[in-house]
Parts: sequence; structure tokens; C-alpha cells
Amino acid sequence: MKKIIDGYHLLLTWLMVATVAILLIPVTMQIVARFTSLIPAYIWTEEASRFLFIWMIMLGAMIGIREGTHFEVDVWPELKPRANAMLKIASGVFILVFALVFVWWGIAFTQFGWNQTSEIADLPMWMIFIAWPVTGFTWVLFQGEAFFHNFRVLAGRAAQ
Amino acid sequence: MTSAALSPAMAALVLFGGFFFLLAMRVPVAFALGLACLPILIVEPRLSPMMLFNETFKAYNSFILLAVPFFLLTANLMSVGGITDRLVRLSRAMVGNWPGALAQINVVLSVFFAGISGSSTADAASQSKIFIDAQTREGYDLSFSIAITAVSAVLAVIIPPSILMIVWGGVISTSIGALYLAGIIPGLLIAGAQMVTVHIYAVRRKYPVYPRATAKEFFLSMWQSIPALMTPFIIVGGILLGWFTATESAAIAVIYAALLSIFVYREMDMKRLHGALVETGKLASVALFCVGTASAFGWLLAYYQIPKALLSNVTSWGLDITGVGMFIAFVFLVVGCFLDAIPAIIIVGTTLQPLAQSVDMHPIQFAIIGIVSLAFGLVTPPYGLCLMIACSVAKVRLRYAIKDTMIMLMPMLAVLMALIAWPDLVLWLPRLISPELLK
Repeated sequence: MKKIIDGYHLLLTWLMVATVAILLIPVTMQIVARFTSLIPAYIWTEEASRFLFIWMIMLGAMIGIREGTHFEVDVWPELKPRANAMLKIASGVFILVFALVFVWWGIAFTQFGWNQTSEIADLPMWMIFIAWPVTGFTWVLFQGEAFFHNFRVLAGRAAQ
Repeated sequence: MTSAALSPAMAALVLFGGFFFLLAMRVPVAFALGLACLPILIVEPRLSPMMLFNETFKAYNSFILLAVPFFLLTANLMSVGGITDRLVRLSRAMVGNWPGALAQINVVLSVFFAGISGSSTADAASQSKIFIDAQTREGYDLSFSIAITAVSAVLAVIIPPSILMIVWGGVISTSIGALYLAGIIPGLLIAGAQMVTVHIYAVRRKYPVYPRATAKEFFLSMWQSIPALMTPFIIVGGILLGWFTATESAAIAVIYAALLSIFVYREMDMKRLHGALVETGKLASVALFCVGTASAFGWLLAYYQIPKALLSNVTSWGLDITGVGMFIAFVFLVVGCFLDAIPAIIIVGTTLQPLAQSVDMHPIQFAIIGIVSLAFGLVTPPYGLCLMIACSVAKVRLRYAIKDTMIMLMPMLAVLMALIAWPDLVLWLPRLISPELLK
């Protein structure tokens, strides 16, 4: 199971890297087209870059849960591993609730945009909206894995 | 508003109460903001959790925010492509023979860095790796090293280019070109205040000094750094001349940094490029994800007209322009302790704008007061991103470096007071170079 999740994690990271790298292309085309006649001034460049950008944010937000990089405020003193695991489980419950909200209403959100197309390039909008439920599902998966680990710590069967 | 199920006071209690409770439970800030909205969205008959998706979608579907990953990528390319190394050498040749040499270099490098990248978090991340370990090995105290790295990183959003100025210009319709010019003098003043602080620390604690650089070393390092130091002129000039938009200028910065790394300094390879892209994507997306949920939170506050209610008293206090300036700085400083700067601009900046207008404060001065205060928020606990990053690189907890950070903030706050008292410090340069932008 861990291997499958690791593989999925790696896939998401690669997709995110691709979005960051590709993001530059439409914006550069926009500038080049303004000053030269090498390429025509396409109007889809702005929309394309925004949509890639949304996917970049959502992919990074998915990975952030597994890597624990979403910023949090730390007001607690140094805790023992077991107390720490308990706090992690408690905050994990809230993250899970948020993830399920993303799944449940995210599906409705995607259905709502099912027949819409984008204003400029006529792209189907579900391709964008689906990022929300996918993020929700991924969080459930990653958070579930974290729960499993924290319960083992709590039961004294794993190190931090 | 007649059919709202909750009164504004009740809604405020749920939103802020929920948010702070979740923060204390160590729920990530982005999630706490979204979750705090949830009970209201479910209870209120006219709203639905669907709004959470609409608002986050609207926030991310923005050409302006694209500047965030671009500036982060510029910073990461600078580090992996040898630009940062050249600038360190130049800084060393300039201030290496002053007391507390390495710490002074830390500040000067941040000034150069600020002129190329517009992201303080990127500055904190890359300079923590360079300086914290090196400084402690030379005998500087760890908490001092963390604090000076974190506070000098805030210069990146004050000296142009700046992510915060691009966001401010987009959200509150202010000329980004004028903001860039207006940020230069305040940025240099704050850097000066930090160098004085370092000097006093260094003399009192006998921190080490490097031998004076020869004239040859100085000119050689200057010569090597010229291509990199051209960046701010290309970016600010290009915007002032109308060649490209603010977001496009960030893309130009990426391309320029990449070209320098590949063709001039020749230190880039595929592995390092991949590393820079991964770092950029991870940091940009967790920071921006928070902007989405903060927008939803801010939208709900506005729905119940909570900011208006909170501010209704202030106008009756009869403050003069300096008083209003102090009040605005105070609000941003407090908000900056709990929120990242971009969400704070979206939620609070728009709220305070009428107040600034009511005393005829110049929109550019209002913007600079807001941005400088929020930049200080990047190092104030409990939620000071730059300080958190520096502490995590040093592998200590946040509270470890708080005392030195607060000491270093005092002279910086004095500069902020000066910017409020003398608007000309802010407005002089834009007035000189492009007066047409100020109208």
C-alpha cells in the first residue's frame, strides 16, 4: 500500500513540475507576440496560463498534506511523542472533514460546470472544476495514511 | 440582508472563534480559514458550501497571482545557477571589513536579491541555507543569525519588484509602476536600519571581521555581478515604459535569470533545474492555496459587513492623517501576526481604503504603509512565514529566535513611523521619475 501511495505522490510531483515549467510558455508567447511578428497574438494564452496555474496550486496543495508543508501555527510547548500523535490525530480529523467537503460538494461543483465551456478558448470547464474533488480524494488517501501511522505511535508500535 | 439567519455579531464570533480554535489545534492555516466558513455556509439558507468552490476558483483564476510562482522560480534559479554566489562575493567586497561582516553581507545580499526577486519567502529559504550555518560556525549566536536572516528577507517585498505590490495594485487598483518606485527609498532605509542594528550587535558581542577587499577584488566582483544587477532596471523600466504588465515582468525575470545561469555563469544542469521547479511548485502552491480559502473567509466577512461595523467607530475618532496612518499600520501589523500578506491585502486592504481616502491620504502612501507593515508581519509570531522558514532550516522552534527578532524590528518600526509622518519619503521618487503615475 505504501508503495502505491509513494508512486501516486511521485506522479503528482511530476505533474506539478510540468505545470510550473509549462506555465512560462503562454506568458512568454504573449510578450513575444507583442513585440515581434514571429507568432500571431493568440488570445488563448492568458486563459491557458490561468488554468494551468489552478492545477499547479491544487497539485501542490495535495502533495502538501503528505509532506506536512501546509503552514501551521505552533502555540504548544514541546510535546511527548504520544501527546503529539494525539494532537495530530485531532487536527487530522479536521483536515479529513475539509477533504470530504471537497469531495462531496466538489463533485456537485464539477457537475455544475459539466456543460460549460471557457470564455476564450472554449475549453470544457469540468477539466478545471474536477481539480477540487480530485484534491479531496487525494487528501482522504494521504490523511488516512497519516492516521494509520499516528495510531501506531499512540499504541506504541512505531517511532515518531 | 433581511433574511440572514445569523446576526453579523454572531457570524463574526463563529468565523473568528472557529479560526482561532482551529489554529490552536494545529490545523494548517489554509484549512482553518476554509473550515471556519463551513458552519455558516451550511446554516445560512441563502448560502451553500458551493460558495467555497466559487470563491477559491475566482481567487486562483487570476493572472495577477501568476507572479508568485514566477518570482519564486527566479529566486530558485538564482541559487542553482550561480547568480547568488556572484552577489555574495560582491557583498563581501563591499561590507566584509565591517564588524559583523557575515551578517552585514546577509543584509546587503538581501537588498540585491530584493531587486531581482519579489518574494520574501524565497529570500528567507535560500539565504537561511547560505547564512545560518556559516554564521554560527564563525561564532555568531544562532538566534541572532536566524533573526537577521529572517528580518532582512522582508526587504524582498518592499524593494521592487514585489509580489505584494503586484497583488495590491491588482486588488486596490493602484499603479504598480508607481508602487515600485515608491518602495525603493523605504526599502533602503529599512536595510540601513538593519545594518546599524547589526553593527551595534557586532561591536557589543565582538563578532568577526574579514580583511578589507582590494580594489581589484571589488571591481572584479562588481564586473561579474553587472548582468545580474541589471534585472531590476529591466523589470521596473519595462513596466514604466509600458513594455509589459507586472505579471509578464515576473516571467521576464525568470527567463533572464535562466539565460544568465545557462549562458553567462554556466552553472545550470537538468538536475538542478528540476530541483528548482519542484521547490517553486511546492512553496508557491501551499502559499497560494491559502489565498483561496482566505478569499472565501474575506467574502463572508464582507457578506455580513463585519469590517464596516468594526471600522464604523474609527471615523468618529477624528484622527488626522498621521493618526490614520498609525492606525492603518497597527491594523496591518496585528493582522500580519495571524495571516499571510496576500490574504491580508485581500481581506483588510480593501476594508481600510475608505478610511485612508477620508483623510486624503495618497493611495501610494497608503499602499506603502500597508505593504511595509505586512512585510514586518512576515517575521512576527505566531504566523511569520520568513521566521518560520529560517527556524525550520536551523531546526529550532519558532520561539527560540523571537527575542532577537523583536529587537531588530524596533529600528525598522521607527522607519515605518517616519514613512507615516513624512509622506515625501514615499512619494518623492515616483514624483521625480514619473509624475503622471501619481494622478
